[in-house]
Amino acid sequence: MSNLEDTAFEERLTFSTFGCDPFKADPRTPDREDADVTIRLEGAEGMDLRAPDGRKIKVWSFENKSVPDGQRRLTYPSAPIRVRQGQIVHTRLSTSKGPHTVHHHGIEPSTANDGVGHVSFEVGDSYTYQWQPSSPGTFFYHCHRNTVLHFELGMFGLLIVDPPSGPGSIYEGGPTYDVEQAWVADDMDPRFHAISNHDAGLCGLDVGLNRFEPKYFLLSGVFNNRTMTDSRTMVSAKLGQRILIRLLNASYSILRVALGCDAEWVACDGRNMGQDPWCDTVPIPAGTPFELTTAQRYDLILSPPARGTYPVRMEFRHWITGEIQDRGAGVVQTKVVVS
Amino acid sequence: MKRRTFMQIGAAGGAAAAIGMKTASGIARSSDTEFALTISPANTELIDGTWVYTLSYFLGSSRPSPEIRVTEGEEISITVTNKDTQTHGFAIPGIASATIPAIEPGATAHVVFKAPWAGSFLYVDPYKEPLNRILGLHGAFIVEAEEGKTPYGSETPFSGPKQTPQVQALFDALGGGDPRFPGDQWRRNDLRRDKLWLFSQTDPALNARVAAGEMVDPAKVKANFVPRYFTINGLSGYDTAIHEGSHSDDDDDDWDDDDNPAGRIMPSGKEGEPCLIRTMNAGLANHSVHIHGNHCFILSGVDSEYRNECALYCFERDVWQLSPMQRTDVLLPFKRPPDIPLSAWPPKDEPFPLRYVMHCHFELSQTAGGGNYPQGAVTHWEMTAPL
Ligand SMILES: [Cu+2]
Ligand SMILES: [Cu+2]
Repeated sequence: MSNLEDTAFEERLTFSTFGCDPFKADPRTPDREDADVTIRLEGAEGMDLRAPDGRKIKVWSFENKSVPDGQRRLTYPSAPIRVRQGQIVHTRLSTSKGPHTVHHHGIEPSTANDGVGHVSFEVGDSYTYQWQPSSPGTFFYHCHRNTVLHFELGMFGLLIVDPPSGPGSIYEGGPTYDVEQAWVADDMDPRFHAISNHDAGLCGLDVGLNRFEPKYFLLSGVFNNRTMTDSRTMVSAKLGQRILIRLLNASYSILRVALGCDAEWVACDGRNMGQDPWCDTVPIPAGTPFELTTAQRYDLILSPPARGTYPVRMEFRHWITGEIQDRGAGVVQTKVVVS
Repeated sequence: MKRRTFMQIGAAGGAAAAIGMKTASGIARSSDTEFALTISPANTELIDGTWVYTLSYFLGSSRPSPEIRVTEGEEISITVTNKDTQTHGFAIPGIASATIPAIEPGATAHVVFKAPWAGSFLYVDPYKEPLNRILGLHGAFIVEAEEGKTPYGSETPFSGPKQTPQVQALFDALGGGDPRFPGDQWRRNDLRRDKLWLFSQTDPALNARVAAGEMVDPAKVKANFVPRYFTINGLSGYDTAIHEGSHSDDDDDDWDDDDNPAGRIMPSGKEGEPCLIRTMNAGLANHSVHIHGNHCFILSGVDSEYRNECALYCFERDVWQLSPMQRTDVLLPFKRPPDIPLSAWPPKDEPFPLRYVMHCHFELSQTAGGGNYPQGAVTHWEMTAPL
């Protein structure tokens, strides 16, 4: 038996436990099964990034403790998780600097394993989240405590579910790819990153978390002054290779994307298209802009028919005005090079 | 702290008779074809206890922003009395014949129109657009299908001639032979299977300027809009999530299903009881509607003239974009949450109901008054039992 004392399963939801003082507990995982894979995350760990203008930006990250000491390093975004469809996965969170949670975004486990404090509990010391991904695709994970702040500060990472046979196709028997690139779009408001209190605003103080004025724009952790050349962002492929792009909008902007070559949209939000009569795949002709709202994922297959350099442009647009953020500076560019 | 939203009808400043009342409840039923609305200012209490000046359409004396439900093809008559000191109007974008461009203070105006093909609409004040709309002059106008069946006989919220093959295929798969959707088909004429999420936002500074008598230029509203409160059906945070026995003892326990405005928001049912959710945005900010527990299928949107249209791609999404004045119907399939280990279903240690949040992923909208996470545009749904 697990012990669900001090959680939403046994306690009453009130105005206070909904927001200011959510349930905090470290129960044994209910309905626990043996795991095929165990991932050990610790957070929040702080680190500094150096912005293109020289400014130091503090971020918080989950550290992947499954990687042996010495090989492990903190990254922004946090360490990616990669598992296979059908595996029983245990994500073991140990917390530092106050309570946190892990919500595997797009993964749909039981309530206790979903990482939302007011309907379950936040983690005081440690908890093992149990899930068994049923669908291959592109997901992410993030902390769901004071999310407006913890997500912005970097407590998120990419989560990829491969089909049982592993990387190389987007689902068993589905479209294949030779080259893979993840594009995680993100924007940063330095004012948020200057907040050191993890619980800022939680109990009613006005800390301005309704306003977001990003000054820095990143792709897969790379500031936009280096995205044209960094191997984490640009794509290099040989003629005839099929390229899979896993695109995630982890910003607080609407992301408008235009690709210099044709693409086929083959999956969205971790669900395959083209398998059911109600949702075919969608061709996206070169130069046709498309939008991702916050937290959406698009999986795109590119197979450029000729050698060349294909530009990629992403605009970060304000959620109210629709204007490009930071007076037009909110743009990330990269490229796909076919040789 | 009181955790119930209250309104005082009448002018700002408190000169009016004050009646404590609940917001966003009353549903005008689809058997009605005549509706009498009143436009009136009110003071409204927000989730953190802040009071703001608002404007609302009322049905009767105490039902702000009523959800109006009609049946397609019927002749609908709407009478609007303007009890404010400023000019207002009435319009349903996508139904051009339902427009009253202007109603002078103290005047009553009337419009008669034929209800179009079934779908989800918004009624708004088109006068000084978008100023009056964002101050609260908006509500949901739902047109139900007369029949709504697919050629195979599955019930849908849309009329046969407007259904796309994609929407038909999806509703035919529910509760049918497809092992991914065991259980029941979608059922119409059952509000437990038909929920409403009407999003909006409030910038109290704007409301205060209007309350002070300032003539605000509607063309400048959007550029200066800094929302501090985020609502679904007029409610925020904890108030969207009150279910029986869950709210605190010092609240008077007088909710019943029809009277609990959170009940119009929160889907509740067993595995295999698919639920329609009509999502719409009367505000000025985009929302990124994100649901936990199940992905949803996109069923409809609006065309360039705000008419309802069924989807050609029923994307299975956990996030959909809801831009201002957008209306998107989605289907929450109520499937077994698919990533619970099969060997652990149904759960033994973990009790039902399983509860899953829905929130906007522009997390700024999860705040109230600049903090108070998650007292913004959030709610949850619950699965009460396995098949
Ligand atoms: Cu998320
Ligand atoms: Cu979430």
